[in-house]
Amino acid sequence: MTVSVTPSVEWVSQCYNHGETHEHVSLYLVRDGDDVILVDSGSFYHREAITSAVDDATDGCGPDAIILSHSDYPHAGNVSPLGGDTEDVELVASSGSPEQQGLPDARKCKIGGRLDVTGRTFSFIDPPLADRSHTTWIFDHGDGVLFTADGFGNYHEPGQCRNRSSEFDGMISTEQIYEYHRDNLVWLRYVAPEKVERTLDRIFAEFDVNAIAPVHGNPIDGDDIDVYRDRLYDAMRRIADEYEVD
Amino acid sequence: MNREIVPGINWIYEAGPDRTAKFELAERQPDWYEPGREAYIPQCAYLVEGDDETLLFDTLSPASTDQILETVDDLVGDRGLDYLVVSHPDVPHAGNTHAILEEYPDATLVAPAYGNDHELYHLDDARKVADGDSIDLGGRVVEFHEATFLDAPVSIWMTERETETLFPVDWMGFPHLDEEALLFVDELDGEFDVSRLVEFHGRVLFWYQYVDVAKTTAEIDTLVETFDPEIIAPAHGLVIRENAPEYMELMKDVTRAIDEQGRIGTLG
Repeated sequence: MTVSVTPSVEWVSQCYNHGETHEHVSLYLVRDGDDVILVDSGSFYHREAITSAVDDATDGCGPDAIILSHSDYPHAGNVSPLGGDTEDVELVASSGSPEQQGLPDARKCKIGGRLDVTGRTFSFIDPPLADRSHTTWIFDHGDGVLFTADGFGNYHEPGQCRNRSSEFDGMISTEQIYEYHRDNLVWLRYVAPEKVERTLDRIFAEFDVNAIAPVHGNPIDGDDIDVYRDRLYDAMRRIADEYEVD
Repeated sequence: MNREIVPGINWIYEAGPDRTAKFELAERQPDWYEPGREAYIPQCAYLVEGDDETLLFDTLSPASTDQILETVDDLVGDRGLDYLVVSHPDVPHAGNTHAILEEYPDATLVAPAYGNDHELYHLDDARKVADGDSIDLGGRVVEFHEATFLDAPVSIWMTERETETLFPVDWMGFPHLDEEALLFVDELDGEFDVSRLVEFHGRVLFWYQYVDVAKTTAEIDTLVETFDPEIIAPAHGLVIRENAPEYMELMKDVTRAIDEQGRIGTLG
């Protein structure tokens, strides 16, 4: 069962359990008329649940296209089970070396460009927050959803697994945002956070974002984006400040 | 394709695609590029052989499954493979893990202890190594180190003690021209141009555009002092076997150059 993010974007929520905290390893489903586009494909770890959820959501027809943010296993682990290796499903990815990334049959999207997939328009954005060099963020021009792959994530507690940001008491906490980015975007220890912030400012000025859809976090509703960004900045500052070179 | 660096350490090379058009090299004419030539950012794995045991560091990409299996077989022969170390579970580095372990089912899979989602990469049953851990291959000891400049959180660097070789994985990669494949840096024509390092780090380590330059420079000083290597064997560049610490010092210039120029471009 999916969770509605915007009128035509749904969240296929899956969690990985780190003990008392959970981390999402999700994907999203975009409905465009009769067509269904998946953004990322999730991890092999959740294969049965994901294929079942997509099957239910598409009345057994499966997706018409899969767009990958990158080839990292928790994002690209179910391409074949979801039909991404067949002629019936269009596979779109950003890599400049698809064979080296294990995606030799993918249609290439250019980071910095835009592409129509089954008639719906997506822009591909060079991401300031990522954990692999060939990652792209994906912006859906239909509903204004920004799919941020490994950026804008958060850990969450059991019981918050299917929450959108507005369903948290006080929104997603700074601590949840901090812990996720500390553990997963380790390189943030070296950055000057204001430089990342400037890039984020440019992206949010260029694209009219109604919701943020991270793979490793709860979807962020439009009204919560500014609060999340403030907390993200505090988290980045803390990560950088806590790391001292010997 | 492979080449012996020193007896017992072999460099296994995969070229990947020609980057000339994607990087717009003919139009941009960066200092390191010669018009009319092809340019590659290689993918490298390394085989370390001790008196008793053998170890492979990384696997090449899924585009080179046959190559890595044939090359490792040629090199280890009847000795077989005892350890497969995955520096980080990125497809071009780890994409042949399953195929290699099928060929060498008795090999021990070794993975970084860092990060918290090994299960999502089929690394939950691997032997986990962290900073200071080592494996004695008999006459050769490899030691593991927390990866400093990285992308994925599940990452590890390695050194080999006897030859003082540093394997810094994604750090210190750089492009090379067509006929330079498997050359050592000291065999290149002319002086090594730092713009090669800028080209790579300004694309692949995308976060270099955001770094605190002073902090990163201080970290490079620490790395030079800690490792002071004789040889540097990167995953995405040519092997450096002369004046290696000087090339590490060059990385300070790279940091400053990217801070001034910004992102060079994407890899994807």
